[in-house]
Amino acid sequence: MDKKFISRGVSRTSIGNFGLWISPWALMLVVGLYAVMLCLFKGLNQTNMDNRFAFGLWIYLDLTVIALGAGAFFTGFLLYILKRKELKAVINSAVVIGFICYSGAVGVLMVDVGQPLRAWFTFWHPNVHSMLTEVTFCITCYLMVLAIEYVPVILKNRKIKHVSSMLVFEHELHKLIVVFAAVGTFLSFFHQGSLGGLYGVLIGRPFAFRPALGIWPTTFFLFIISAAAVGPSFILLTTALVSKITGKKLVKPEVYQLLGKISGSILIVYVLLKAIDTLIWINSTSPSLGFSAASFYKFSGFGTWIMFAEIVLCGLVPALMLLNQNIRQQFRWLITAALLACTGIVINRFVMTIQTLALPTLPFDAYMSYVPSWQEVATFLAVLAYGMLVYSFSFRYLTLFPQERELQSL
Amino acid sequence: MFPWVYGFAWTPGNIIFLGIFFSVVAIIGATVLISLFRTYRALQVNKTEAIRWDSEFHDLPATSRKCRHELSGEFKQRTCDNGFDCRTCATHAKLIQNKTLNSDDIELPIQLFGFTIPTDRLYHRGHTWVKSDASGIYTVGLDDFASRMVGTPDGIELPAIGSRVQVNGSAWRFKKGESVMRILSPLDGEVVAASDGSDGWYLKIKPLTKEVDTRHLLRDREVAAWFLREFEQLQEKLADPKVGLTLADGGTPVQDFVKAYPGVNWDGILGDVFLEA
Repeated sequence: MDKKFISRGVSRTSIGNFGLWISPWALMLVVGLYAVMLCLFKGLNQTNMDNRFAFGLWIYLDLTVIALGAGAFFTGFLLYILKRKELKAVINSAVVIGFICYSGAVGVLMVDVGQPLRAWFTFWHPNVHSMLTEVTFCITCYLMVLAIEYVPVILKNRKIKHVSSMLVFEHELHKLIVVFAAVGTFLSFFHQGSLGGLYGVLIGRPFAFRPALGIWPTTFFLFIISAAAVGPSFILLTTALVSKITGKKLVKPEVYQLLGKISGSILIVYVLLKAIDTLIWINSTSPSLGFSAASFYKFSGFGTWIMFAEIVLCGLVPALMLLNQNIRQQFRWLITAALLACTGIVINRFVMTIQTLALPTLPFDAYMSYVPSWQEVATFLAVLAYGMLVYSFSFRYLTLFPQERELQSL
Repeated sequence: MFPWVYGFAWTPGNIIFLGIFFSVVAIIGATVLISLFRTYRALQVNKTEAIRWDSEFHDLPATSRKCRHELSGEFKQRTCDNGFDCRTCATHAKLIQNKTLNSDDIELPIQLFGFTIPTDRLYHRGHTWVKSDASGIYTVGLDDFASRMVGTPDGIELPAIGSRVQVNGSAWRFKKGESVMRILSPLDGEVVAASDGSDGWYLKIKPLTKEVDTRHLLRDREVAAWFLREFEQLQEKLADPKVGLTLADGGTPVQDFVKAYPGVNWDGILGDVFLEA
């Protein structure tokens, strides 16, 4: 029925099966949108956040998807600026994933600000000394860049490209894609960094506070490097997942291995810097602010195991695995390493967002626990559903993996 | 954000931050506008066909973009990045001298696994052949490999007499099953005649210039090497994946491959053969 819209030489499941696949996601999206409407019309009292726990599940989601979505800018940087042409095999998928991650994050932020009709105030009256202002400006601009990068992928649709003006515009836009790759890299560098920086400057929260290098706290640089490290791993994982679900070979094994190698090479640098930063924090920064580092780990749920899991189990271990060629060549271990690397960053963003706010810092403060309301969870799941739907339609009707046609005929 | 907005101050922080922000927005906006302007200009000068081919070519699988000099054994591995336009390829210029049409090398037609390859003509990688006559008119037809593959098409769309075709642009279109394919033109010129009759489909093209550059077309012995590879690829695609490639024990190719092999992904195979992504 929709065969004319599906790329030549590749096969897709029947429209009926596709409908069955997207139905639960569509339902999840509808439930999530209902929760969003409740938050927008009744206010943030629909959430379990309060003045103390002002950052909850949604900001955690934002930080995580923005880190994982870094594969879009970093793959674009490697392909268009450093000319690693092998990555052409995954760039379209990376752009779609990046677009989903950033549009999902911006969508949730619109709910999270509580007064979405005044969201434009942040642009109209910017506080240029705030890390969040930089994040807002950069994320908005980068989402615009990702939307523009998504356009050529859409215009390459089998049916759309028969329209001459669409074909020519796609061609001309793609010729200048290097500009967008460069702008995307610039913007990503600053907003990834500022997302880390906004915790690092919290001098009233010694658990997160870090000394500055120049005008930026060390977390600024650690967030950039960690996002660049796991971006390729996330692309690797999503490609493998789509390949598994659809039962199709999408890219050559060398592409998976290259993504793993790139991820491992940056991850080892990140782990080294993170370890140094943590040691300085334990021995100098935290004591100088009147807290022993051990005091932050005496609360239930946030023991030292979380630090071990983040830096060693999901940092050092996957980095060493990804740097080993023999392990990279074994698909199962490659996937395990990429999964561990992504988990490490998911833990890191959790620690920075949730653990930072849960820990008491003043004598009259108590340790706080936070459980999101169903409206928060439903909104969170709506972003997941939105992502699944956008990706599913893109995979069906657009060429996300140019090697698929060749691999299918082998 | 702007000097006239409440709260704005001419501080270094504001100037640097907003200066960078507006520069980024200006770069994004200017790049999109340049793309739109170039699109308008390309449409005005009718560059659509050339752009379509460039776009299609780079989306083809690497196996469909093998350089002719790899097929002839001069390179172990070489993928074309030049849209099969050897006229502007420095490597090709070094490797082969331009031969005229109807050169002295031409011998009897080659028979290859039942396919007939007349050697009195030149071949385009999109499976068309070109032959000139004494009046300077060139006949363009579909080669035996493609003819046998398509058999009798379900529909054909020939260009109007007097219309112009260009190298690697669309010469004519046909429909076979669910696939609609275009045949690439091997030459630039004006269509002076077209036939979809019993004697096959062909166009007669009058070149736009006196000197016709045919360096991009295959000739002589390299045609057989190319045909052989195309046939091998077709066999691989038609082979039962459980059995693998098998050796035919005789016979000649059928007249309509698409009809003879139902249930095969012909849309993809025809795309590979006729170089359409």
